[in-house]
Amino acid sequence: MTRRKFIRKVLETCSITFGYICWFGQKISPRKFVKAVPGKKYPGRVEHLGSFVKQSKWSG
Amino acid sequence: MKVQCELCPKQCLISPGQSGECRVRINIDGVLRTVVYGYPCSIHVDPVEKKPLFHFLPGSRILSIATVGCNLHCKNCQNWEISQANPEESTAFPCSPQRLIALTKEANCPSLAYTYTDPIIYYEYTYDSAKLARQAGIRNVLVTAGYINEDPWRRLLQYVDAANIDLKALSDEFYRDVCSATLKPVQDALIIAKASGVLVEVTNLIIPTLNDKAEQIRDLCRWVKANLGGETPLHFSRFFPRYKMRHLPPTSLKTLDLAREIAMDEGLQYVYIGNILSKEGQSTYCPECKKLLIERTGYTILQNRIEQGRCPDCKKEIYGVWQ
Repeated sequence: MTRRKFIRKVLETCSITFGYICWFGQKISPRKFVKAVPGKKYPGRVEHLGSFVKQSKWSG
Repeated sequence: MKVQCELCPKQCLISPGQSGECRVRINIDGVLRTVVYGYPCSIHVDPVEKKPLFHFLPGSRILSIATVGCNLHCKNCQNWEISQANPEESTAFPCSPQRLIALTKEANCPSLAYTYTDPIIYYEYTYDSAKLARQAGIRNVLVTAGYINEDPWRRLLQYVDAANIDLKALSDEFYRDVCSATLKPVQDALIIAKASGVLVEVTNLIIPTLNDKAEQIRDLCRWVKANLGGETPLHFSRFFPRYKMRHLPPTSLKTLDLAREIAMDEGLQYVYIGNILSKEGQSTYCPECKKLLIERTGYTILQNRIEQGRCPDCKKEIYGVWQ
């Protein structure tokens, strides 16, 4: 192996290792929760609320 | 540009135009948006016992809301028509947090429940409504699977008065196979909620062949007692074949009674059975003198003998929010 090839190999290995450390550090570091922004428009059908005082059929 | 949702342990990395697993948190032009904010698909007034909450303002009515979507995909979900629905295919009612508080007052309800699907996925709507409700003197109740990251959970809990949190099984395998989730975050959420001073009641749905063995129930009860305390009410709920689990039979009364016996044997003081009529399994007894305190049938209170949070006979303090 020539000296030039050896240096290139070392640089490649270092950059890959550095990239992996950055990625891994980002993955494991605790991140602050950022709230989602309310949507501009409901994507489904929107209806006027009728009577709501009766018991729900849903569980819970 | 992709965005990462940090709300629940799934940490969905969402591509533009796509939603997270919950179906309602969407990447729109590189911004994470909650498309169900202010658009509940269900608004009703229920008895608080239906949540189920047996130690929180018994006999009161509670305004209950949900939006579509859920971050879990339980094969046995009772409410799958809304929890597993896409917002695009659903019908919703425009209702801002301010309007929600007004409706709660209009219905003369002392509290507001975020329920039916999972309030975690409509987090921002729950959070803003709960904050306003607290300012208006209305209490907040969550009915949830507790699958949420610690930071948003702690932030939300400061406005929460009571929660019924599912502990579906004490098995990571069960959570992965049946719910597409994991156990540890749920355990953490339970411990954090209890330590935050929120009134916590736990529900365990017993599914034949999946989590109905005596040893599985005993392990779950031991965990609840060791981590949440013996005073934490535990509800064993009856399974009915629904959604992707129509091949299993409903839970027998015998199994539910056995589960209740095991839990009381392990030192849990308030153990109930639900989704089935059982006078003894739905009533509250004093853990000290064993006298009947609250007699229930279904969601109806037949008598409530608790006086200022205590047993009228032996004066033992009873865990709960009574007024």
